[in-house]
Amino acid sequence: MKKFAIIADSTCDLVKDLRDSYDIDYVPMNYVIDDTEYPASLDWENHSAKELYDLLRQGKHITTTQVPINAYTEKFTYYLEQGMDVLYISCSSALSGSVNLARVVVKELAEKYPDGKVVCVDSLISSLGQGWLCLCASKMRSEGKSIEEIAEYLENNKLKVNQFGAVADLKYLKRAGRVTASSAFFGNLFGVKPIIISDTKGQNFAVEKVKGLNNAKNRVAQLVADAASENGMDWLYITHSDCIEDAEDLRDRILALRPFKEIVISYIGPIVGSSVGPGTVAAYCFGKEVTVEGSDK
Amino acid sequence: MAITRLDGQTLREMFANGYRNLCRNENEVNSLNVFPVPDGDTGTNMSRTIGGGVNGVENPVSDVSEFMKTFSRAVLLSARGNSGVILSQFIRGISDGTDNKAELSVNDFGKALASGVKCAYSSVLKPTEGTMLTCLREPVEKLEAHDDFEDFDAMLSYVITEMKNTLARTPDMLPVLKEAGVVDSGGVGMVIIFEGMLSHLKGNRIEADLPADNFSTGFVSSSFGPDSVLEYGYCTEFILQLMNAKTDIASFDVKVLIDYLETIGDSIVAVKDNDVVKIHVHTFTPEKALGFARQFGEFITLKIENMSVQHNESVEAKPAKKKEKVKYAIVAVASGDGFKELFSEIGATAIIDGGQTQNPSAEEFIAAFDEIEAEHIIVLPNNSNIVMTAELAAKMYDKTDVRVISTKSMAQGYSALSMYNPWSDDIDEIIAGMVDGIESVATGSVAQAVHDSDVDGVHVDSGEYIGVLDGKICFAAADKISAALGLISKISDVEDKEVLTIFYGEDASEEEALMLIERIGEIYPHMESGCIFGGQKVYDFYIAVE
Repeated sequence: MKKFAIIADSTCDLVKDLRDSYDIDYVPMNYVIDDTEYPASLDWENHSAKELYDLLRQGKHITTTQVPINAYTEKFTYYLEQGMDVLYISCSSALSGSVNLARVVVKELAEKYPDGKVVCVDSLISSLGQGWLCLCASKMRSEGKSIEEIAEYLENNKLKVNQFGAVADLKYLKRAGRVTASSAFFGNLFGVKPIIISDTKGQNFAVEKVKGLNNAKNRVAQLVADAASENGMDWLYITHSDCIEDAEDLRDRILALRPFKEIVISYIGPIVGSSVGPGTVAAYCFGKEVTVEGSDK
Repeated sequence: MAITRLDGQTLREMFANGYRNLCRNENEVNSLNVFPVPDGDTGTNMSRTIGGGVNGVENPVSDVSEFMKTFSRAVLLSARGNSGVILSQFIRGISDGTDNKAELSVNDFGKALASGVKCAYSSVLKPTEGTMLTCLREPVEKLEAHDDFEDFDAMLSYVITEMKNTLARTPDMLPVLKEAGVVDSGGVGMVIIFEGMLSHLKGNRIEADLPADNFSTGFVSSSFGPDSVLEYGYCTEFILQLMNAKTDIASFDVKVLIDYLETIGDSIVAVKDNDVVKIHVHTFTPEKALGFARQFGEFITLKIENMSVQHNESVEAKPAKKKEKVKYAIVAVASGDGFKELFSEIGATAIIDGGQTQNPSAEEFIAAFDEIEAEHIIVLPNNSNIVMTAELAAKMYDKTDVRVISTKSMAQGYSALSMYNPWSDDIDEIIAGMVDGIESVATGSVAQAVHDSDVDGVHVDSGEYIGVLDGKICFAAADKISAALGLISKISDVEDKEVLTIFYGEDASEEEALMLIERIGEIYPHMESGCIFGGQKVYDFYIAVE
């Protein structure tokens, strides 16, 4: 069978160890501080995680950009030149326009490489939710599944990846325009921790409000326990924006409710981190299909 | 002349005299406050409530039953404050007790009063003895043993004497009254009303300055008649097109207009937008305002209203026209610029202006409901003395589903509203979430005492700051920061709380609030604290800890 590469982007939040052992590559987006653009490295090559989140805490406004068109061209070409196909698992199209850009690039390359193909899957999620789809694809690749089979599986199952995030401070998401919620959410809601899910359109949607971080962690733990399936896909991924204690605490609270076989805790990378701000914890699990479609009524 | 039969006209005049008597003594009743802070309002609430009835039936029919129906409905609509709601229910009960009666004998009236007491009791979930309820019940019960009154004069004299006896014993029934050294204010109000009623039978008309606002407009098409005195002036609004022929538009300073308007009126709003000026002023001489303004331009629009016939001015933030129907709407009662803005910002559809010293009437709630097109209306009364009025209004309103969440303070209302989930399809779930939002909240307030007091076991010197926690004085200190910290320390499970919000009022500054937060941070490092401008009167801080 034809070999193929699995490529993600900067929002997948997979650390180097995982990317290496599952053979996953990524195309970087950029983040911008004071008009200087830096590639959003998942290995924190330009700013350490601590540095970046401290900048956010100090009120520094960090913006992000899509994957540049030439980054796609270079990365796809690199694999196509080797005679490989490419499975690109992108950040949710509701959060970044990157995947649309990728499709444009794919069309152009199709003429140049009539024998190669690049399949794009819009993950409709970000962070380790997207990361999980990548790992899942890699495992299936090891089992000998074809790129089409994997893409089909991902399309059919991507909404079963659940995200439950507790955002410490809404102001970052608000500023970045990366959350869908009613205006009632955007008021002066002191101490309220919105629970953010990734909805059927791949939007970050503030679905509930909880008072205080302690209650928020309990609520996320309960939502994870309710949503996670029993069918052996027993994995739990937790991401955090520079608050490892909260992430570990959340893990313990979840494990008190039900066991998980595979647990990963990692930093929220520079792209997602810039829009959620420091102090956010999110849990990802596989189970019930997401049916909520957020609106900003 | 002994009066042994009453008709509708006489009853109306009796109530009117009782009302005027209450207006005369309103401040005295207001001052019977168990807390040493100047926010008592029982006198005002009761007088507005009964006044709404009196003004609502200016030309009563002689048929008692018919009169009482109209009167009690008007009283109901004007009901404000818990004492007002109880009074309105008392009168409703009297109305029920006079059904089908064209005239009343002394015995008939006694029975009607008994029906009134029953109705008043049933309106309160947990009737408290030592309040105006007892002051109504005891004399009326004693009446039953007497069917030998010669006339109404004798009967009412008896009722008043007994009512005063009961009133004198209210401090023995309610410790909080004894501690504060006062008798029940609602009971005093009832005595004053009954004395006024009796006084009418004796041929004495009591004169009083009637209160400023105009109630029960639903019944009175215009309260301004041929013999009225212009009491409040005109609300005057206009948009003035500045004219090149009259002035240099670019350099025209709207301050010229403001300075002049200040000499003839108040409530001035003046805005210049390029070559147009928008003016709002309350004045007795609108013609002067117009004359002066016309030196600079011509009017685009012009509106002058006699404020005596304006109504429901206090219902603010009305949605512009009828909006498309929404699923949920929130009506919140708030006072203070900060709170009003805050409630609008976090999701309230309409704000009714009101609070501790200004309780809105049932009618004001209903007017607010009428402005809203929603499947469900959620009401946040935000004051323990407004909850009953809101519930009464909700019960009276049948055009849409109205739910009252009995928030007892604006801080509680804020907590409830901050948990409002507008995207839920289930109204019960939404309500449950909001109620959950307030159940774990401890709410406190800090205010300066205006006289010495010994309430709730705390001695307070005049000028000290008191800390009130969940309705009880729990701490007194020389400065507001210490009072606030003392109050927080009294919260039994403060170590388990995580979020503390301070709403600073018009007598406190942001610096003071920030200073308080800093101190809280030192004492309770786990607490997430923040402050918001509430702008409330009397209370320097409201504090919500959850």
